[in-house]
Amino acid sequence: MTTPRTTPKGNLPPLALAGGVYAIWLREVKRAVRDRGQLIGGISRPLLWVLVLGIGLNPYFRGEVYGQVRFVIPYTYLQFIFPAVIVLNIMYTSVQSAVSLIWDREFGFLREVLVSPMPRLFVLLGKVLGGVTVAMFHGCLVLVLARFADVAIAPASIAYGLFLMFLLAFGLTSLGIIIASRVRSFEGFGVFSNAVILPLYFLSSSIFPLDPALSRAQTLIVYPEWLVMLIELNPITYAVDALRGNFIGFNQFAPHLGIIVLTSMAVGFFLLAFLEFRKK
Amino acid sequence: MIPAISLQGISKHYGERQALTDISLDIAPGEIFALLGPNGAGKTTLLHIICTILAADEGTARIFGVDVVREPARARRNLGVVFQQNSLDRRLTVTENLEFHGLVHGVPHKLRRARIKELLEAVDLAERKNALVETLSAGMARRLEIARALVHDAGILVMDEPTVGLDPESRQAIWHYIDNLRRELGLTIVTTTHYVEEVENCDTVCILDGGRIVALDSPQRLRARHGAEYIRLVPNDAAVEAAIKAAYPDLVSPLPNGLLLRIPDAGFTKAFLAEYGDAVSELSFDRQSLESVFLALTGRHLGRPPAPSGKGGRR
Repeated sequence: MTTPRTTPKGNLPPLALAGGVYAIWLREVKRAVRDRGQLIGGISRPLLWVLVLGIGLNPYFRGEVYGQVRFVIPYTYLQFIFPAVIVLNIMYTSVQSAVSLIWDREFGFLREVLVSPMPRLFVLLGKVLGGVTVAMFHGCLVLVLARFADVAIAPASIAYGLFLMFLLAFGLTSLGIIIASRVRSFEGFGVFSNAVILPLYFLSSSIFPLDPALSRAQTLIVYPEWLVMLIELNPITYAVDALRGNFIGFNQFAPHLGIIVLTSMAVGFFLLAFLEFRKK
Repeated sequence: MIPAISLQGISKHYGERQALTDISLDIAPGEIFALLGPNGAGKTTLLHIICTILAADEGTARIFGVDVVREPARARRNLGVVFQQNSLDRRLTVTENLEFHGLVHGVPHKLRRARIKELLEAVDLAERKNALVETLSAGMARRLEIARALVHDAGILVMDEPTVGLDPESRQAIWHYIDNLRRELGLTIVTTTHYVEEVENCDTVCILDGGRIVALDSPQRLRARHGAEYIRLVPNDAAVEAAIKAAYPDLVSPLPNGLLLRIPDAGFTKAFLAEYGDAVSELSFDRQSLESVFLALTGRHLGRPPAPSGKGGRR
């Protein structure tokens, strides 16, 4: 029989924090890989949006005289929508992996993490990085379709594109954590998709352009003011714009706005998520 | 010597309800310490305060002298916790769950591998090490949770109803494993339970009722001091029940199914059986069990354990 221990162990060595973040990250990735439903969504979504919607609407998207206003978007609809579908896939996956926090709370696993000696900040970091990795993977699934969308991706633009995708996924996963911390019961992922993801997506000038050649007064002739306002207020608008600028060289807003909004989202939502997470 | 766990004046309330009132106790290293009490007595609340999930309103809790409020992360390193509700990741395998635990507790790679192998053998799960947790039986999952709590060489194993919802055979098996682990690893064990028979082998029993300590001693001494002997029986009909109640108003107390009679002196049993022996069935004797101690101290029965969490959901 071993004599019982009578003295306490010390604090967790700093190097072990990296191991803990790795463990939490790895768990997120493993769960995502084993979740067939999520993978099917990640593949079918870009196929539907690019190959069906994109190809279907392609012929209707061209220079058009509308009253006194002339649209001139020098891209096909497929090219135009392609960067937005990357954003859509990242949105779905980020939010989905973050709201798994609700399941962890429901089924007790969160406690296992909370009684570990890992500081909350690192627990959150591991969780967010896990969600980011899976979301980036799903974003890259869309990139595979670039050829079909007639988008020629220059090798140089890939690195910066991945960086933008990383910032977007980081911000959205953090946003998902904030939502998950506030939600008491799990109503099914459909609620999140309809209440958060799709409104943000449709109001981001993802599927129809606000022509930058038009003056604001002209834009307001074409679209009602509330719609233009919502689009301009939506941070996802600038994420879509940044990816468009990078992948097809088309910006509707000042090119530097995208990176500023994406960075602020990533930092801001992460800090808010930390404040929420610390309360538990 | 520093106590493994030391509580001083712990109080906690939820809104209006006082969950714990002025709990003070020391648990010596190497001890098996049991918290016994009915639902709502404050057992789980007390354990949650010890493992830093809940903050006490008043009082201090120390793990090997480490204050749980000032150094919560360090205090947690010394605790292995098994919650009432299953907290395994059902989508990971047995080994993956243990690996995860080892990593977040900072157990170095080599040591982690060796200890996981040892513990899997100790709880007879070595053959299922690559199975997904959702394919395990309830008893196996419980054993895995206990093994997991020990991957980081905790020193103190804290368990909240470790055998709830298991059949008697699995319950016995779990305690067999716990006892072996305790010998091998030199553990201090703190557990809550509803099953009095599980408490009999502990070194110290703390009986909680309504958030207060009503007794704190070894099971032997508690039995000797408070334990009475009882007869359990089921009257054959309502008339017999009424007659017994009328004849022994001070000794009788109702059970969910039948009656419980305290035996006041040595000659009582013989006289009682002579009179009512043919009019009752399912006669049995409770010999100074801790349940009778609980009854003597609080005037109530322990009641049923909480229902095992039915949340087996898809994740």
